[in-house]
Amino acid sequence: MPTVRLRAAAEYPPEAQRLFELSKAWFNHDFDQPPAMSRVMAWDPEFGGPHGRAMKRAMSPGEFTRAEKEMVAAAVSGASACEY
Amino acid sequence: MTGDAVWYEAALVVGITNALNVAADALGALGMVDEADAPPETRALFAEIRAFYESPEVPAAFRLIAHDPGYAADVWAAARRAYADNRLSRRVKEALAFAVSLTTRSGTGTAFHLGEMRRLGVGPRGIMEIVGVTQMFSSYTKIADTLQLEPDMGDLAPEDPTPAPGGPIR
Repeated sequence: MPTVRLRAAAEYPPEAQRLFELSKAWFNHDFDQPPAMSRVMAWDPEFGGPHGRAMKRAMSPGEFTRAEKEMVAAAVSGASACEY
Repeated sequence: MTGDAVWYEAALVVGITNALNVAADALGALGMVDEADAPPETRALFAEIRAFYESPEVPAAFRLIAHDPGYAADVWAAARRAYADNRLSRRVKEALAFAVSLTTRSGTGTAFHLGEMRRLGVGPRGIMEIVGVTQMFSSYTKIADTLQLEPDMGDLAPEDPTPAPGGPIR
């Protein structure tokens, strides 16, 4: 169980709603609620903004495809024993 | 990257990479097998490993575990299978191995798989891409763990209905 109460999207200010829309577009999925990590990152936009940009830059296609990078990300998560 | 087969392959790469790094990073006290004094089966094994990596060097992990040639041969057979081109390319598998080595702070594994990525044609930009993914997900996972977030994105990928290799269709 999370150590914090995850706020529903409606509890966030308008600028966060824009981030949630970007998140929906990035995953090409119509979430009932934005993913928990998107809501965590929207809590502090001054951290979440640049962190999200760095993440997006890292995950964008380059020498490796987005799909290959998603697999690398899954491997890193597995090696870190992260269930999320 | 659809279908489970590529994910099984990726998981095997992650597992065997960790196994080899465990030996390479922490088993130095055992000493490496000196090929000059090694039995013929060990020399043949080392020759096969060199050929696979197109390198005059045998990775440290295998020189450390070759004190038991039969065991080393089985570990190598599994490693060769895991790292060989299959549904995933060897280039992608080395990127996975590099990311896992970096994540687990394996200096030996990180250096080895960085060298393999370069040998297989990954350029400076590609290497930084994998560094970026590794670093950002090292952040992401720790934030999620600290807050004990529960997985909520599992239904993004459709279930693969195909059977195990060689198995009957359900």
